[in-house]
Parts: sequence; C-alpha cells; structure tokens
Amino acid sequence: MKKMAVSKAKWMQSIATFVCVLFASVIGFQSTAMADETCMSPYMAKIVGQEDYVYVWTLGVEGMGDEQDKLVTISVNPESSTYGKVVNVLSVGGRNEAHHSGLTDDRKYLFAGGLDSNKIFIFDVYSNPAKPKLHKVITDFVEQTGGMVGPHTFYALPGRIMVTALSNNVDHGGRTGMAEYTNEGDFVAAHWNPTDEDLRGAEKVGNVADGYGYDVRALPRRNIIVTSSFTGWSNYMMDFGQMLADPEAMKRFGNTVVVWDLHTRKPKKVFEVPGAPLEIRCAWGSQNNYCFTTTALTSKIWLIYEDDEGEWHAADVADIGDPSKVPLPVDISITADDQGLWVQTFMDGKTRFFDISDPHAPKQTYEHVIGSQVNMISQSWDGKRTYFTSSLLGNWDKTGEADEQYFKLFTWNGKKLAHEFTIDFYELKLGRAHQMRFGAYSLYGQAPNSKDRMLSQVK
Amino acid sequence: MNNNRKKFLFFVNTGLLFGVLVLLLTYNFLHSSTETNPVSDVTNNRHIFGPGDNKEGYYSIDYTTDTLDLQKRVGKEADLMEFVTNPPLGLPAVPVPEDNPITKEKLLLGRKLFFDRRLSINDTFSCAICHIPEQGFTNNEIQTAIGVEGRSGKRNSPTVYNSAYLEKIFHDGRESTLEQQVWAPLLAKNEMANPSIGFVINKIKAIPDYDGLFESAFDGRGPTMETVGMALADYQRALNSADSPFDRWYFGKQEDAVSEQVKRGFEIFSGKGLCTACHLVHEDYALFTDHELHNTGLGYLASMGTTSKTTRVQLAPGVFVDVDNEIIERVSKPKENDLGRYEVTENPHDRWKFRTPPLRNVALTAPYMHDGSMQTLREVMEFYNQGGIPNEVLSPLIKPLGLTDEEMDDVVAFMESLTGSNVAILVADAFAAPIGDISEDDPNWAHENKIE
Repeated sequence: MKKMAVSKAKWMQSIATFVCVLFASVIGFQSTAMADETCMSPYMAKIVGQEDYVYVWTLGVEGMGDEQDKLVTISVNPESSTYGKVVNVLSVGGRNEAHHSGLTDDRKYLFAGGLDSNKIFIFDVYSNPAKPKLHKVITDFVEQTGGMVGPHTFYALPGRIMVTALSNNVDHGGRTGMAEYTNEGDFVAAHWNPTDEDLRGAEKVGNVADGYGYDVRALPRRNIIVTSSFTGWSNYMMDFGQMLADPEAMKRFGNTVVVWDLHTRKPKKVFEVPGAPLEIRCAWGSQNNYCFTTTALTSKIWLIYEDDEGEWHAADVADIGDPSKVPLPVDISITADDQGLWVQTFMDGKTRFFDISDPHAPKQTYEHVIGSQVNMISQSWDGKRTYFTSSLLGNWDKTGEADEQYFKLFTWNGKKLAHEFTIDFYELKLGRAHQMRFGAYSLYGQAPNSKDRMLSQVK
Repeated sequence: MNNNRKKFLFFVNTGLLFGVLVLLLTYNFLHSSTETNPVSDVTNNRHIFGPGDNKEGYYSIDYTTDTLDLQKRVGKEADLMEFVTNPPLGLPAVPVPEDNPITKEKLLLGRKLFFDRRLSINDTFSCAICHIPEQGFTNNEIQTAIGVEGRSGKRNSPTVYNSAYLEKIFHDGRESTLEQQVWAPLLAKNEMANPSIGFVINKIKAIPDYDGLFESAFDGRGPTMETVGMALADYQRALNSADSPFDRWYFGKQEDAVSEQVKRGFEIFSGKGLCTACHLVHEDYALFTDHELHNTGLGYLASMGTTSKTTRVQLAPGVFVDVDNEIIERVSKPKENDLGRYEVTENPHDRWKFRTPPLRNVALTAPYMHDGSMQTLREVMEFYNQGGIPNEVLSPLIKPLGLTDEEMDDVVAFMESLTGSNVAILVADAFAAPIGDISEDDPNWAHENKIE
C-alpha cells in the first residue's frame, strides 16, 4: 500500500490554502475559526466563539403533534436565559422524510431536503438566528435534475450548493447523481454518477461502478470532490426489518466511493468500497490529503487518500465494533486537529472515539452509550461540545420503547463525555430529531435577542 | 449559361443542400428526446430486459457490475393499437367493454397518466413506480410493494402484461374491471395515498399539461372518475404480449422455434407436473390461468408457521451474516397478516387462496408468488414439487409431483420460453412516455407563496 503524500507538492498546497483563505476573507464575514462544526465545507464562513443555536431538521410523526416535518431551534449558549430550551418550531407541511441540511457558504441560508417528497426547504437563518423563516421551497428538484430523487447532502461551494441525490424517478433504485444550485436556490447543473455504461471519463478501479449516491465533501487544495453511495428510495423508505429480510432489496446497496475533479465536476476514479459507505469527512490539516468514510452494513472505516505520486486510493483501515453483529455505523465527525474520529453506531446507541493520529490504523479509545439509538453528531470546533440526535430514517428507527427521540449535549474533556442536557423530542411532540446545524448572532454582527421564546415553558 | 456559372450554381446548391442537412442533423441532435429519437432495433437495447442496475452474481465476493446508465435510455413510440386489434400469436381477441372502446387518443392519455408521479398525494408515485416497464411491468427489486411514505404493501406487484384478459384483478381477485381497478391504488393509503376521488380529478384539471386532453379523447368530457379509469384501462389493455418461442412452436407449428428441453418441459407442465390444472392452455390460445383462486399453503405458512430464530442477511457482495430475529424485530413494525381471498368473502373456505397468475413473460417478473418470497422459477418448481404446504384448506389440485431435478429444469426452460416477441417494443414505447414530475406550473401550496 502506498503511503500518502506528506511533502509532495507542498508549494501547491500552500498556494491552494492561501487562495482558500483569501477567498474566505473576501466572501466570508469572519475568518477567525474559533468555534464551529468540524464537518462543514471549508468554503463556509466561521462562527466566532460560542454557537448560539442548533437547528434540528426534524421528521414529523403520524399521530403526534402536528405530524409534519419542522425545523426546531434550540438555544445552546450557556449565557442565554433560554439555554437548553426549544426556542422556535417552524413546521413546513408534510412528512417529507426530513434528513440532511446544509448551510450556504455565507451561512445566510439553510437548505434542508426531503428524501421522500424531493422538496428542498430554504430557510433564512440570518435575519433572526433565533427564529429562522422559510425563504423558498424548491418543489421541482426531480424535474430540474432530469430525474434525480431524494435530495440528501447540501454542501457549500463558492456561491453554490451541491446537492447529492439518492435515487431516481424511473425505478426508485440507487442510480443517481448530484445537482448544483445557487445560494438563492436556482438550478445550475446536474452531474450524474459514473456507471459501467458511461463512466464519464472515470477509471473503474475495482469491480463496481454502481452509480449510487449519498454524501459529498471537497478537498479544495487537492481539487477533488469525494462522493459515497447508499441505496435507492425503495430501500431507504422501507420498513427496516422488512428490508433486512428481503434478499432482493439487500442487493441494492451502494459499494462505491467516487473521487471527482472539483473544478470540472468530472469523475476521476470509482473505488470499490463494499457495504454502503455513508458520511465522508475530510481532514483539515494542510498536509493531510485524506478523507474518511464508514460502511453502514460492513462496519468498517475506510480511508480515501492521496499517495506520494498524487494518485488516490481507498483502503479498509479498521473495524467498527464487531461487524458480524451489524452495529450499523451511521454519522461520523472528525476533530479539527485530525486526531480523532467520532463514530455513532445506531443499533447499540453508542458513540465511539477513534484515535486517527495514524490514519492508516485508527484505534478505538473510548465509547459511551448515548441512548437506545443514536445517529447524528455535531461537535464544536474546539471539540469540547458534542451534540447528538437519535433518528436515522422514519421507517428505520427502532420501535416501541426503544424509539427514543432526543437532542443531547455532552461535553468532552479529551477522555470522557459528560452529559449536560437532554431535550425529549417525543415529550414535546416534535417528532424524530435528525440533522443539526449551528447558528450564531456573531456571524451577522447581531446581538442576542433577549425576547427568545421558550416553547417548552409555554407548553 | 456558361460552364463556370453552372459550376458556381452547382456548388451553391450543393452547399445549400449540405447546409440544410447539417442544420437538420444539428436540430435533430439538439432536440433529440426519448419521444423523437428513433431506435433502429429496440431488440438490441440492453435497457429493455431487466433492471439496469444489474445484480446478477451479487452473492459472490467477485460480483462485477454491469450498470446501465439512465441517461442512455432511449424510447421509441409504438403503435399500441396494433396489439389490440391484432393480438400477438397465442392470445385470443382482446375483450373490450362496449362502453369503453379503445382509441389511440385515450390509450396515449392513459399512458401519460400511468407514468405520472403527480397522481399521488405528494407527487412521488405513479403506477409505473411499482409496475416498472423493463422489470416485466412489475418490480424485480423488492419482494412486496412499498407505497407513499414507504408504507408497506403485503403483496408482490403483479405484472400488467395481458391484464386485458383478467377476469379477476388483484391477488385476491377483488376487482373485476380495469376501469374500476385503477382507483384502488390511487386511493390506498399504502400506495398512492390520494385522500379522495375529487382530489385526483381536481389535481388533473389543475395540471396545465392535461389541458384539453381528456376533452379531446372523450368527446368533450373532462377528467372524471370514469374517464380517468377508462384512459388508464385502455393503456393497460394494449400491453398484450405473446408470440413467444412457445407460441411459435405450439400454435405456429414451427418445430425449431424452441429447444427439445422446452418441449419436454411443456410435456411435464401439461402432464406429470399437473400445472395446466390451473395454468390453462387452450387449443388455439393460452392465458395460463383459470381465473380462479387457490390455496397452495404458502399463505398458510406465513400466517400459521413458526419462524426461525435468525435471518440470513446479505451485507455486501459475498458477505452474509445470520442476524437474530429479535434484533430485526426491534427495527420492524408488525408484519400485516394476509388471508388472501378470505379478506374479500369472509368465507373460511377461502383462507389463503390467491389468484392463479398468468405465466406469459414470467421470466421477466421475479420475484415470484403473491408475496414475492421466491427469487427464481426453480424455487417455485421445488415448492410445487413438494406439494405446497399441507393445511386444512389446501387446494386438492396441489399434491407432491415427484419430479426429478432434470424435469424441474425442463419446466423452467419451458416457462422461460414464454417471453413475448413484442416485449422490446412495449418497453421502448414505455420509455418514450413522459414521466410526470411536479413543475412550478403545477398545483402545490408551496407555489402560492403563503408561508410566513
């Protein structure tokens, strides 16, 4: 196995880093990276200091509350009188299979997708960070993209949002692509994933070129985009247990990671990464030319890395728990110093911390049970605050008493997690808590609003 | 006119002609679409037969993809009326209701409706999402159907091929005409989930690209419960497929149309295998169904049988694990029971009876049985060879057959000879149909800008 480059083309990286910083200075408002999620786009403006709010994209539950999807705003600044409370709920109509969301590079807008309805809700989070408002709803994602279904990841590029899809309007299977929108929500272009019939110029490295999609991340200084692959509508919308017992359905999972050229948006290499590689997290260090992903079904950490010759590779570098027990790794989060990787395993409700100081040999050093089920994690840039939510997919979450739906804050001292507070999303009749994004007044030169409304107190 | 002038005009004319040709070709290239780009020979189109997301060999760690590209699909419109007026060899005359004579205009309107995902409460589900043309007008990729919001159906999506001839529709035979049948999936909460008939009608009326289509097809009548049913029925009534190798041999008397194995298979099928007791073959046509419902024991097993403690689950090519069912139950909603025909009649003698499916194009319609529980025709043969599953209301027609492995292979070969010669034409025509996805011109509350 070729080791990654540690010195090759340093001058190119320096130039790339300089350009990125210059770009961020020009288009961003604050460039001081003190506290921010670690998994965001490097093109994105940074929060200065403590985050004030976490926006939780939440699935409505039939028979509960108003039954529809909503953006839930939680106050998380310990200095606020509303700390630890839900301060705003914005219902958007329908159960769209709310899943992931992403901020524009200027952090003015939050794009949030519905994997089922294909709607994209664009929230204005800058006019009043405590009370996001719905700016626009894109209803014609499928028509505009020429048939992509299931808008998933929303990833900031300069003035653009890259939206990965999971499925298509022909067979509701996994063949799909990604689409570009402007920050205002205007469609720009569709980029279909490479398949055997049309590799679109890419090299098929292994045996597989399935055309499936899931997450996207960019490593601008190496001019690449990395995408992963999950499954189509029929599976991600199906009852989880029913799907596990359906041998035909279980054949329909992605087994690929694709490395693309960032500037041309053309795929370069299709890697075989068996067992549904999901989240992608790229290292931040200027010499660290690699990204991690984890496979949901085969429970492994994979490293996507560049070698001394500038070639990209994919390698299975660690097991997560006991793969034979299918712990189902879901969300992951890399620390800002590239030394640690949080990995959530849905089935046992654990978060696991891996030492990735040697990215080729991650070692689990800590684990903690967050709840009966756990999915998403967002950590502050300094790594001291870790937020967790519970929902995976509307029809995949556990049933009965094990179906806990929560938002939890833990602090991390480098050795162990300490619980700060929990918000029970079922007790508040909100629904299933999914992805989190941070908001802050400091981004927009605003002072905190003292008139925050505490929904839980009103209730 | 001197020679130089003639030459000049020749070159001008040739140049103009060339220019026009280039313009025409350029126009054709730039404006090519699934509806206008002809396919010289649709039978060579790999997209036609089976899922483009090919999973053959997925059980092996050496699985290699041969994934087809959705952007490469090309359609070709066909004259479907031909398959109504002159049904392919092996099919009888198409039964057409007196009050719904088939016209090309109605048929094309029905095809448009069939592929329109807007005909569901949240604009995500068309008929074709469960009845996928290249997958035998059924769904090869899941055992039982999944509807709006991922709600589970308890039965396998049946094929639409040759539904014109069905006397009983649905696996439990609860419907009798295609015109009426269409409203069941449109309104079922676990299918297209429309809240009412009026909702569907009003939505069609408000979608601009339906302007005038119903009025033109139905002598001035707009979208109604009746005309929507008639149009959809007309499209389905045209999807008649036969003239298979079997038909050419058996009805067409072409001795070399099928292999000796197929001939042996048919002999077993109609003899020792007892298959024709239900899958009827007539003197001059064959629908391979008796239009009746039978208890084979498969439904009984699902309702009354005990389940194993583990389920074998495939995680990746060549990677399998046995998962405790207790773990699976933690992420499952309770499975709905299925009593078959009994759910229609409440007659205890009808417990676990399901309709005899026609067998034409059966090689294209896996997985099999009313619950999609069998992945291959060979599994189906083994089930019947063992005499189904004994139970107190087992059909007397089901009994152990004593077929050898070779004989079962022969019957499978026979069933694989039932693929119609016009499948490619019907699927390519389906590819040429527009897929209806919501646009900004269509009705939706979000287009009215009422959100605060």
